[in-house]
Amino acid sequence: MTAAEAAFRAEIRDWLETELSGDFAALRGSGGPGREHEDLEERAAWERRLGEAGWIGVGWPDSRYGKALDLQQQVVFHEEYARAAAPGRLGHIGEQLLVPTLLAHGTEEQKARFVPGVASGEVMWCQGYSEPDAGSDLANVGTRAVLDGDRWVVTGQKIWTSLAHIADWCFVIARTEPGSQRHAGLSFLLVPMDQPGVTVRPIVQLTGTSEFNEVFFDDAVAAAGDVVGEAGAGWRVAMSLLGFERGVSTLGQQIGFTRELEAITVRARENGAADDPVLADRIVSAWVDLQVMRHTALRTLGGDAAREAPWAANVSKLLWANWHRRLGELAMAVEGPAAVVTSGLPYELTDDQRLYLFTRADTIYGGSNEVQRNVLAERHLGLPRDRA
Amino acid sequence: MRFAPTAQQVELATAVRELLADACPPETVRAAWGSEGEKARVDLWRQLADLGLLGAVLPEADGGLGLTEVDLVPLMVEVGRAAVPLPVAETVAVLVPLLAGRPGDGDDLTGLVTGNLVGTAELAGSGVLPWAGCSDRALVRSGSELRLVDLTGVPLELVTTVDGSRAAARTPQLPGTLLSTDPADLERAWLRGALATAAQLVGLVHRQLDLAVAHAAARKQFGVPIGSQQAVKHMLADVLLDVRFALPVVQRAAVSLAAGAPEARAHVAAAKAMASRAADRAARTTIQAHGAIGYTVEYDLHLYVKRAWALADTWGSETHSRAVVADSLGLPPAVDPSVLPWEAAR
Repeated sequence: MTAAEAAFRAEIRDWLETELSGDFAALRGSGGPGREHEDLEERAAWERRLGEAGWIGVGWPDSRYGKALDLQQQVVFHEEYARAAAPGRLGHIGEQLLVPTLLAHGTEEQKARFVPGVASGEVMWCQGYSEPDAGSDLANVGTRAVLDGDRWVVTGQKIWTSLAHIADWCFVIARTEPGSQRHAGLSFLLVPMDQPGVTVRPIVQLTGTSEFNEVFFDDAVAAAGDVVGEAGAGWRVAMSLLGFERGVSTLGQQIGFTRELEAITVRARENGAADDPVLADRIVSAWVDLQVMRHTALRTLGGDAAREAPWAANVSKLLWANWHRRLGELAMAVEGPAAVVTSGLPYELTDDQRLYLFTRADTIYGGSNEVQRNVLAERHLGLPRDRA
Repeated sequence: MRFAPTAQQVELATAVRELLADACPPETVRAAWGSEGEKARVDLWRQLADLGLLGAVLPEADGGLGLTEVDLVPLMVEVGRAAVPLPVAETVAVLVPLLAGRPGDGDDLTGLVTGNLVGTAELAGSGVLPWAGCSDRALVRSGSELRLVDLTGVPLELVTTVDGSRAAARTPQLPGTLLSTDPADLERAWLRGALATAAQLVGLVHRQLDLAVAHAAARKQFGVPIGSQQAVKHMLADVLLDVRFALPVVQRAAVSLAAGAPEARAHVAAAKAMASRAADRAARTTIQAHGAIGYTVEYDLHLYVKRAWALADTWGSETHSRAVVADSLGLPPAVDPSVLPWEAAR
């Protein structure tokens, strides 16, 4: 680590330490995996505080809108953020998905209109991709939008829409060319959520809480100019966004993983579970695999990035999602049979139970295990394509 | 040794399955997560009594069906398949056989087999009594003493569990009537409970698999049912393999237990290990095969996944069960294989 890097690390660490000791002290650990429903108002205030201090969009490649940190600095930021157990982000969809897309495909006018709201932590976004009949098969989108004078009229349904219940805007993939098929004829529209044509219905998850929703568009409107990229060419825009989804934050995420595994290890030593060599071996494997994840991520971010980038994201997702799912199982095994008792009524779960249940979703969202393997097989190994 | 079910076993299992399909659909299990399910639960218990299931192990002369552990396996598979939100296994497989033929416990026995009383049991010393929220009697142990507790009027600290239909209670130490101080009674009660739980897990795997198969056949992506993709197809075939391998081992354990064979302990442990593993993997795999809908509580799968999760580590976890098998082979076991696993090992 260079002196500059160490100084940068210290700066972030100090800032987080100060902020999370004051008004936001109670937010440490809030909103983590399986806790996305917690402290929404307080975390919204935290988003604004982050924005004020310039800690949103640190990796955006445009210094007009943010700090435009280099890769190494971004990693440091994410690591320190996770190390401080700073609150789970509410604005990550805008920050990590929408803005990079706008910076790559948007007009200057769109950037000027939308990026500052995300940067200040005041405007929340959600992602209108999945539909009941378009999950892994995203190109099967059925939501339609028709240009009517100076506005798009949007009709259809999205599902599994994270944080739609607090979002101000939704970026929606909609079919804008009647009769078009598959990847053609789609557009990437920016739709305001606060209007009569938009209805949000929360979906209760295995954890008993709700982070994702169904979103119904019933003649909802969007301004004619609020289409990113060309109308009808939205698929390319939508797909480039998926490339932003698993970037440098992986290393920060691993700090959280390390903390979870540490807690499990300590617990196993305390309650004697570690004396069981089978469990002890599972704990050892988890530590080794955590190293695999870390070094894979570092290697990807290093010199080989350009060559490996096309498939590194798929490998990374498979690695961490499956590791985390196993970790949930390990947490419960370490607790033994009493692990099934919740911490309170009506369905207040313990951290271990949350981890176990939440990690059931890890191998599904953001491209399921099966989708990731298909991509690896077809695009990296060059095997014949499956279908469609 | 005869492994194929007899005509009577098939007939009984079919009767239980049909009754439960009607009387314990997913809505009943779901309702049992809240207090609104109480009436359905009472009705269901009564129907199981009327069918003769609750007193099934009593001799025919005493109004029972004269069933052995071997006969109980297919019935417990059905109880698991339906995720019956009641301690059927504890009452039928553990309490009734223990109380049968004991002078002085006649009222409780009669109450249990006629459906007037609900009985639960906890012999691992975990400090958590399952089904306490809906039970009148509980079999508990301290050391190798078995005690029967009348739960009516006992202040209980009720707790919810990850399976919300199975409200439990924390039980530091409950007063009760001494039933036995014979370790052999404890061991036999334990093995019956473990066997019945293993059989329920087999049924639960089948239910999860049925849901996942139906979904994979109906759900289309890329213009085809997702179940036509090998990635999904093989995943579900592996669940089938797990459960197909588990069932014969469960049946073998029942034969040993019914015969009072000395290997019963190892055989039951092998059965529980296989069934627990199959259930864990089924829960993981069937959620995956469903995609996001499997991660919601609006869909029924979670009712069965969470029951499987709750049962997989009770009456001997996979690790403990394997230790028992290792011990029986003269190998150093990974954990203390005594019948009192959690107290001894932790």
